[in-house]
Amino acid sequence: MKKTLVIGLVACCLLALLTAGCRQENTPKTASGDEAERPAFLQIGEFAVHRISPTRTEVRDGAGRTLVLVPRDAPMPTDCPPNQVVRVPVQRIVAYGFFDIAVLRALGVLEDSLVGVTTPKNRWYIPEIVRGMQTGKISYVGDAAAIDYERLKQVEPELVLTWDPSIIPLLDDLKIPAAVTTTPTAMCLNARMRFVQFLAPFFHKEKEADAFFARIDSALSEIRARTAAATYEPKVMWGDIYEKRVMVEPGNAWVGELVGLAQSAYQFKDVFGTSCIEITVERFLYSGKDADIFFTYRSPDMGATSKAALARMNPLIKDIKPLRHGKVYAPLPHYSQSADKLDDILLEISAILHPEAYPNYRLRYFTELPDADPQPQEEKSL
Amino acid sequence: MKSRRTSLWHRLGSINLTIVLCIVLTMDLIWGYFCLERKTPIFTPLNDMGLWAWSKTYGLYNLQHTGWFFLLLVLLTAFSLNTFVCTTNRVQQLFASRRGGGQWLGKLAPHVMHYALIVILLGYLCSYLFTDVLTGRTLVPGSSLSLPDTGGTVSLLAYEPDYYHGKRLAFFDDAVITARFRLQLDDGNSQREAVLSCTRPVRFQGYSLHLKNFAPKKKGGMNRKTRVDLSIRKDPGVGIYLVGMGLFSLGLLLYFFDWVMIREKHSS
Repeated sequence: MKKTLVIGLVACCLLALLTAGCRQENTPKTASGDEAERPAFLQIGEFAVHRISPTRTEVRDGAGRTLVLVPRDAPMPTDCPPNQVVRVPVQRIVAYGFFDIAVLRALGVLEDSLVGVTTPKNRWYIPEIVRGMQTGKISYVGDAAAIDYERLKQVEPELVLTWDPSIIPLLDDLKIPAAVTTTPTAMCLNARMRFVQFLAPFFHKEKEADAFFARIDSALSEIRARTAAATYEPKVMWGDIYEKRVMVEPGNAWVGELVGLAQSAYQFKDVFGTSCIEITVERFLYSGKDADIFFTYRSPDMGATSKAALARMNPLIKDIKPLRHGKVYAPLPHYSQSADKLDDILLEISAILHPEAYPNYRLRYFTELPDADPQPQEEKSL
Repeated sequence: MKSRRTSLWHRLGSINLTIVLCIVLTMDLIWGYFCLERKTPIFTPLNDMGLWAWSKTYGLYNLQHTGWFFLLLVLLTAFSLNTFVCTTNRVQQLFASRRGGGQWLGKLAPHVMHYALIVILLGYLCSYLFTDVLTGRTLVPGSSLSLPDTGGTVSLLAYEPDYYHGKRLAFFDDAVITARFRLQLDDGNSQREAVLSCTRPVRFQGYSLHLKNFAPKKKGGMNRKTRVDLSIRKDPGVGIYLVGMGLFSLGLLLYFFDWVMIREKHSS
């Protein structure tokens, strides 16, 4: 009896382990047409998409709120609050973040759907937005910290994509559904790549999202292949010191994972949390002692024009290794608005980490900072 | 038939089964530790979706990371059954052999605690199965939200944080160490104020309001707008595991009683 019992339990464990080892590719699917091959449930980091039926999809946003997506002509669901129902495909959208807007561009819905942004015209590098703001199709609805609700109401958005949950009570009063597109912990590489699949059901652009994901996935495969033979693992740090705070990308963020994937060592691998997380000055300087490459958050137009300029702004970091003997890279102003070219960005970061694997690579999203700012022409002539 | 039932009953209460279950539970929890550490976002929604909905989505679609959890449920069920049968057998024996006086009551202590653990586990199961959770409810000063199926509304009156101003941890200077939110609770007939903080949920109209997140978390710097994210729960399991805890405390009292009796016996 005892033997049977033990054998039974061990068999149960083995069965559970074996079934757990099999990835659920054959899990239930939605039943209609093209959608038949699409999984009914998709988890993207802390986001999720659950296709309940052809006329109802439930998504979980970054704040853990459930939004119900229903076709434009379908009756209003009665089992959820009206401000959590989104009519799809969405035709008028306001978006806060550059990343969200770049994802809309990747889905091919930017020109048709975007009607409001929280960044003024002179700070945009996306031609469709500059054009849209010139023609008045896209409105500036105020800075993210001080939204002009009158203007927001005037643009009649059907959905607001925001990183700021504090706006939700006011949007509820205006009866405008909102999706929070940031999460309490930083997006991992997989979530960053798949985020497009979270926004896709809002526009019925699932095929475009799958194609985008496949493109990024193939870029990652290329990175793996190119850097596999690398003999040296550069040590990388990504962040910056500001007047009172030190912010870095944690190890669980996509950049931390990418650095590891490209045969390099991320200095903040042990830091876990939200994107752009605050750490102590001591921790930053400790990691800087033996780092080879430093990616700063500041772009050249924010003062990151040279290593000397960075050291002038933050004397504390003047002795970290990347500033003395290593390399420092700053993002170009259009970098933050280029997430629709995520594959190119990933390749570029890989090329920076392993230049030997990418001969003649020309940087497009980052710039390597010189030791000192070039002298002005007048001084030179003197 | 009766002998088969008796035999099954005895097998279920076997101490050997207890040992095997403990070993397998330990192995399963080690497996679970690694899954939880690496794939936390899979398990986070379990707190608000409930076990059934979570199992059909996150659980089923990530079996390689959630298999340990389903196994844990099976093992805990078996463990609870084993504990129940074993404890009931012992209690029966104790009742059968009891003599005058209240001394035998002390011997009940471990059994009461075992029953208490089963009740606590049942409470948790009930919570995960039947809790009604309203997620992502955010309040800003002056805004309010209504609790479904009640006439109750909750408004945020003020954010009253305590900041760290010590000398020893410069990094935490001006960081919020206690976040307190003053809420106004209106049931339609009367109003009252309540203070919500991380370790102090507010109970109102059958719901409990828990602080999930808040802003700002530091004075100065990038000033974020004041807000509090709430997790609002109607949890029928709370009563059950409070009963379990009460029962556990009774078991502890009986232990104490037994200890006093033994001491007195030795001293006399």
